[in-house]
Amino acid sequence: MEFTALFLAVTIVMLVAWGGPRVQALVLFAAALIASVATYLHHASDALKLPF
Amino acid sequence: MPRSLAVTLNALALYAIALVLAVAFAAQLLLDELPCPLCLLQRIQFAMLAVGPILNVRFGPHPSHYAVALLAAVVGASFAMRQILLHIMPGDAGYGSALLGYHYYTWAFIGFAVAIVLTAVLLLFEGQFIGHGTPETPAIRGFERAAVLLVIALAVLNVISTLLECGFGACPDNPVAYELLKRAR
Repeated sequence: MEFTALFLAVTIVMLVAWGGPRVQALVLFAAALIASVATYLHHASDALKLPF
Repeated sequence: MPRSLAVTLNALALYAIALVLAVAFAAQLLLDELPCPLCLLQRIQFAMLAVGPILNVRFGPHPSHYAVALLAAVVGASFAMRQILLHIMPGDAGYGSALLGYHYYTWAFIGFAVAIVLTAVLLLFEGQFIGHGTPETPAIRGFERAAVLLVIALAVLNVISTLLECGFGACPDNPVAYELLKRAR
């Protein structure tokens, strides 16, 4: 569900960048970027099995 | 570099991003390979990579628009690198099928790295920023308009596809079926 929400958020950012105020698009972009990094950190819980 | 050429190059970047999203979609539909959560995050970053060029097409080239693209590319490259490292152990077959010898996440890393380099190269041409404070917005041609609408359409298709794949719950680590369609049967 969170990935659908993220895609929806990015689509909204694109639509605002295309038809809305510039500053609002930049603020929404920052929010979407933070949300995607937070989703990544939530999912990246497996330890990397590195040989070193 | 004149502003008009910079805008055209940004439109070309949008077509390249649309191509990446379309190829990922084609693999999903033709090979029946559903994207994993990390794969979806990389797709999301490719879509976010389009925001900077869209702003450049709409408002004209501006350093902060290129910064937006750089941030999306760096985060996307980090996600792709994480998936490469998850499958780096000898004997690990990797996730999904390979395209021209590399898995999709490896191609994603290469794509984000190329985006970083090309964005940095575009930033070198300061002539495009002269007059960016002028109130009038640049005239948008059909070529640029089509690029923006194409990438937005692909993002909308990804919203629908991800909703079908994950449903209203958590997306499985190794998805094999569309959750929402399974429930509907």
